[in-house]
Amino acid sequence: MGVSDTPTLDKHLSRQQETRTPVVAKNKDLLILTYGALVAQLCKDYEKEEDVNKYLDKMGYGIGTRLVEDFLARSSLRRCHSYSEVTHIIAEVAFKMYLGVTPSVTCKNSSRNEFSLILDKTPLSEFVEMLPAGRSSLCYCSLLCGIIRGALEMVHLAADVTFLQDKLKGDSVTEIGITFLKQPEEKKYRWKQ
Amino acid sequence: MAVCIMVIVKENYPFYVRSIPVENELKFHSVVHTSLDLVDEKISAMGKALVDQRGLCPGLLYPTEDYKVYGYVTNSKVKFVTLVDSSNTAHRDNEICSMFWKLHNSYTDVTCNPFPNPGDRIRPRVFDNMVTSLMTQVC
Repeated sequence: MGVSDTPTLDKHLSRQQETRTPVVAKNKDLLILTYGALVAQLCKDYEKEEDVNKYLDKMGYGIGTRLVEDFLARSSLRRCHSYSEVTHIIAEVAFKMYLGVTPSVTCKNSSRNEFSLILDKTPLSEFVEMLPAGRSSLCYCSLLCGIIRGALEMVHLAADVTFLQDKLKGDSVTEIGITFLKQPEEKKYRWKQ
Repeated sequence: MAVCIMVIVKENYPFYVRSIPVENELKFHSVVHTSLDLVDEKISAMGKALVDQRGLCPGLLYPTEDYKVYGYVTNSKVKFVTLVDSSNTAHRDNEICSMFWKLHNSYTDVTCNPFPNPGDRIRPRVFDNMVTSLMTQVC
């Protein structure tokens, strides 16, 4: 082991130490206000809500593809064996770690590839009481959908993630639906005999 | 019971007005407007000695025949003024100050809403409910 290995080893160990006491952002107000400013600016830049939702989802996708590395390093989880396990980990470990909330998980169909995360309170929309007039189809937390989708794709799980219910639109809870899609068959290469 | 609660922003226009009964709102507007000078006077008289970390609570501004007027100024020069029925027994300063602190906390949550522009006169639901509970509670 050379001298250059020591800094990366230290960083790895410090991440491991952090996982023993998960750190939730102490000043989450700054995150909430930043996110609010982002959505407000997107609303000013784009007239249609579909565009705002689409770009929030895209941004979330970019965050998710990178965040999953950090998540896997901090949580040191073993391989999951079912979609149900994956969804439970997203709810109980990832959401808890980054947002400080734990949604409840329900399975929506018998083939066990459609799940819902039910949140009583979405932390990102804490200060938003209702959507502004004329923006009723805005999905305020679309970023979260994009993050989940991006993270799952980096671990080779294709999924469709959307908001099924939204407290900001008058529903009683916020519900995020995750539908795991069937993977296309991978080509198997055979050595030429 | 508090009959009127008004939030006045830095530029000295009312951001939020709530009065019971609603018909007397105009009268309350004039009472609060005249009390703004008193707020400034009391604050400058109090000076730096009594600065609370949350905001200055000069307390009772002046009593009229029907109402007593209480005021509170935040660090960002937003003023909260409340009119309380004179017929009730005297309120302790602490109760009034704690009422203003609750209002202040609610107000900071309202300002964190990303959609309205600062200075827009809005009627936020949670703030409204908080004010209703405070108005019925102060007795």
